[in-house]
Amino acid sequence: MNDVNPAPASRGGVKDRLVINSELKHLKLARYFIIRILRKVNVAPSDENKIVLATDEALSNIVEHAYEFNKSGYIDINVEVNPSQFQIRIMNGGRDFDMGKVKIKDIVEHIKQGKKRGLGIFLMRRIMDEVKYSFKNGQNQLTLIKYLTTSDR
Amino acid sequence: MAEIKIEMQKLPNGVILVKLKGFLDAYTYGEFEQTINNLFNQKMYKLVVDMTNVDYISSAGAGVFIGSIGVAQENQGNIVIVRPKPAVKEVFDLLGLSQIFTIVENMESALTSMA
Repeated sequence: MNDVNPAPASRGGVKDRLVINSELKHLKLARYFIIRILRKVNVAPSDENKIVLATDEALSNIVEHAYEFNKSGYIDINVEVNPSQFQIRIMNGGRDFDMGKVKIKDIVEHIKQGKKRGLGIFLMRRIMDEVKYSFKNGQNQLTLIKYLTTSDR
Repeated sequence: MAEIKIEMQKLPNGVILVKLKGFLDAYTYGEFEQTINNLFNQKMYKLVVDMTNVDYISSAGAGVFIGSIGVAQENQGNIVIVRPKPAVKEVFDLLGLSQIFTIVENMESALTSMA
């Protein structure tokens, strides 16, 4: 977990939103959406790929597990940046799927056994400082938070 | 399916060079997985995967490597990864794959490690 320090004023109050259908082909578009905001608010390049990856893994899991590859669902991606954190809130209307329940104790052992399931969630939790999940009124909400520091240019 | 281009070349001593271009995510990984499975079906287990032109990989792409390394090694083969970009290497590191796979910076090293 990083120390939180004051950051450039350019990060204050940045908000953006992208809504996509629950199709894997839209992952690329979602990644570009996140990259554009990360660069706009000057997040450190060393964090850029990680935050994009964590978001991509969250979206892939929603398509696979919440919607079970049903392409007619929606995924509503809301990004909010303030001087101390980069927050991605993802809503969907698929089935109740709490990614937080999936845990890998020893990643190297997991991989040595050829196991692939749960890797995306492992990455998401490893990269982000906070991963929160709720299911209310038929909607899943996943919130990913990365704390920003002064090293984030 | 697009966004990942795969080229293959036979090298001496039964080694197959697999060159990838594009990105390996949950949308594109299937084509790569099919390619590896086809090679295994032809009893080709010594694979050098050139990642020079892969810009991005997610766990789905990494999963292809995870699922195939055991099969290759059980059949006296291996999978050697060449020149991953920093963003790709970072994902291998985060998943601990760097401890399991041979990752090298050039073809000469790849062929030496496969010998």
